[in-house]
Amino acid sequence: MKQENIRPGDLAWKCCKCGLKLEPALVTVEYLGNEFTAELPRCPGCGQVMISEEVALGKMAEVEQILEDK
Amino acid sequence: MPAEPNERVGEAGGASLCPQCLSLIPSWRERAGTEVYQVKECPRHGRFRALIWRGPPDFDSWRRPKLPARLDHYECSVERGCPFDCGLCPEHRQRTCTAIIEVAQGCDLHCPVCYADAPAQGGPEPDLALVETWYRAVLRSAAGCNIQLSGGEPTIRDDLPKIVAMGRGLGFSFIQINTNGLRLARDRSYVAALVKAGLSSVFLQFDAASDRAYQRLRGRALLAEKLRALDACQEHGLGVVLVPTIVSGVNLDQVGPILELARERSPTVRGVHFQPMSRFGRYPVNLTENGRLTLPELIMAIEEQSKGLFPAASFRPPGCENALCSFQGNFLLHPGGRVHPLSQDHNPDCCPRPEPAEQGALRAIARAARHWAAPPPGGPPARAAGGRAANSPAQPIMLDEFITLARQRTLSVSAMAFQDVWNLDLDRVRDCCIHVVSPDGRLVPFCLYNLTSAGGQKLYRP
Repeated sequence: MKQENIRPGDLAWKCCKCGLKLEPALVTVEYLGNEFTAELPRCPGCGQVMISEEVALGKMAEVEQILEDK
Repeated sequence: MPAEPNERVGEAGGASLCPQCLSLIPSWRERAGTEVYQVKECPRHGRFRALIWRGPPDFDSWRRPKLPARLDHYECSVERGCPFDCGLCPEHRQRTCTAIIEVAQGCDLHCPVCYADAPAQGGPEPDLALVETWYRAVLRSAAGCNIQLSGGEPTIRDDLPKIVAMGRGLGFSFIQINTNGLRLARDRSYVAALVKAGLSSVFLQFDAASDRAYQRLRGRALLAEKLRALDACQEHGLGVVLVPTIVSGVNLDQVGPILELARERSPTVRGVHFQPMSRFGRYPVNLTENGRLTLPELIMAIEEQSKGLFPAASFRPPGCENALCSFQGNFLLHPGGRVHPLSQDHNPDCCPRPEPAEQGALRAIARAARHWAAPPPGGPPARAAGGRAANSPAQPIMLDEFITLARQRTLSVSAMAFQDVWNLDLDRVRDCCIHVVSPDGRLVPFCLYNLTSAGGQKLYRP
């Protein structure tokens, strides 16, 4: 599985609620009626997903621009 | 026969011009069923009625109110009032999104249909020094806008690459040519020179995917040459927008075939921009109000002829110009043939919040640059997005795959309904963002620049 959205340091984080180390997982995100899957760091306990600043301001922002382009 | 209009719609206080004498006269809108008409009355020449909307989507739903833009610099002051003081004057409500510079008067095709009424043999072409003054006039009033080089036919000029390079050198980042494509089809070195000069995009007159419509609208069979022009643009990495002039009863049935060809020719073809026939310049004498094609009819024809690949609900009113002037939708072309609408369904609530017009213009400028120029290198192989597959239910797509596809395989589908003297609405004109540079360097809304009276009298064009 590709881990294009996960930097090695991201997996050093622990979930503040469960105390578990984040693991790479395929998650589905929804924006403006469109669904995407992406490999992101996720807590194996509660399922909370971490989106790094780099992904949020990079790929996520580009998707937002594509979908709101009008 | 349409029912007799009897219900007034919209705000009172509209204004238009008399088609006979070009006097400023009051106008209003009337509804008959799903049809909406503009009605106006001249004290000397009587009452006129022009169809402006027919069928779904509902006229009342098609709204996108805007807060007027204010410019730093107006070339003209208000003296006689709109539409006689262009331009632009402080009564105008939108900045320039695209400035059209006419670099040639003559044309090598001399079509029976021509908004610019271009002669086969034009007068002397403007020299490079004059073209530079026009570029600088645009910089003064509308820095940052996109440029379209038009005519006449701009490619009759051997020095067109120099004009493109001049515009780029002056800081215009998106320069497009509006062309019949004949020279591009036969002269690959000319295409190469245009690309080297910095040309961004080709606005290619393209009325049909078969020859019958070209015979009627352009006077001869042209499809083979159009396809060769597309080949040349593909070879040199130029993005192309297909621009069909659509006439009911002539080529409305070509909407679907043109979209099919656009999908097959993606990513060279970046968009299709339909233009329902308007009655200015040269047009068929038998084109009457009954034959006028409205935006909603075109939207429904797109959905029907594409068998739902391009659904009506995926088209939206514009954020830049007046809502009644155009529609637009972006579509992702998946390998295998599925078409994924990127625009959200247009389903406004009762009172859409007004948006700043200038922000809409800035978005439109950036959108043209992204969607009408060639995509960045890379991505799926050419023509991978064609094929006849029907739309299957959307499956979640990987984020990275979506971004790559969106960069490479987005098809923009849009239309613009120009106003002629019969349906001119000054409320719409004041929202116009497509401006022609007049010979003395003023910016005149496209429809006013080309407007001619029933007898052929021009309002602005020399």
